[in-house]
Amino acid sequence: MTKKKTSAPKKQSGPSSHRHTHGQGHCMDLLRQLSAYIDDELPSDICREIRGHLGACANCEVFIASLQHTVTLCRHRPAPQLTSVDRMNMRRAILDAANAR
Amino acid sequence: MRATAPKTPAQRSAMKEPDEFDRLYRDHVDLIYRYAHRLCGETESAKDLVQETFLNAYQGLKDFRGEARVSTWLYTIASRACLRMRRKRKGEPEHKLSLEEFVPTSEGEFRLQIPIDGLSPEEALQNKELRQALDQAIEKLPQKYRMALVLRDMEGLSAKEVGIIMGLNERAVKSRLHRARLFVRRELSARGIAHDDDHKSGGLRS
Repeated sequence: MTKKKTSAPKKQSGPSSHRHTHGQGHCMDLLRQLSAYIDDELPSDICREIRGHLGACANCEVFIASLQHTVTLCRHRPAPQLTSVDRMNMRRAILDAANAR
Repeated sequence: MRATAPKTPAQRSAMKEPDEFDRLYRDHVDLIYRYAHRLCGETESAKDLVQETFLNAYQGLKDFRGEARVSTWLYTIASRACLRMRRKRKGEPEHKLSLEEFVPTSEGEFRLQIPIDGLSPEEALQNKELRQALDQAIEKLPQKYRMALVLRDMEGLSAKEVGIIMGLNERAVKSRLHRARLFVRRELSARGIAHDDDHKSGGLRS
């Protein structure tokens, strides 16, 4: 089976590959903005700052990847479909209820 | 199938153009059912919500002036009906999600991962455990957060449209959406679902 890449960040560095000490303050600021970052709603200078942080903080890099995966899964979650019998029965029930009121 | 003849003045007015409701129903029932199923998580409640939505639409059709798109109008009716139906069933206030509860308290929590690397989303969702975990995570979301997530990430509406439907400003929509995504991420990650490549059954790690 051909494996396609998802839109998750490309780099997956290990936790000990950077000298960055995982700083709660900076990482928490990032946590607040992650959806806006994923949705491309942030100004370019803030995006640059976030990319810089992600390059230095393996934990945040993994966190954003898992949030991106979550959004991707939600966007592709399959939805069931109605049968033509269901459509017909519901239409009849709606009109019956409307006329009963 | 023909509609039963309207009896009250309101019904006669609603059915001034007899084809109007049928056209509305035909063009939008699949859309509203999909939305209802994503909100309710199961078939019978979704059908109830669709019927309630179109019943309200039938009665409000004469007042609809076309200021919003028809789909936005129907999404709004469905969303309000869903909240009403839920309140009737549960009758309890909903849990509010704060950002602080999603702050990882250990490095391990930051590094929780969802196993879809190298797979397309469709392939990843063939993992039964992952699909069930996603459904359960969305089901566990408090309703107002689930609604924002479903409308934005599943129905693909803009934050502005979601705001119109939910009666919120865009900032509030984005805030709810962010918390909803963090909630689902945490639920999925915490399940520790294995790759199907590793475990053909897609079972959870103990």
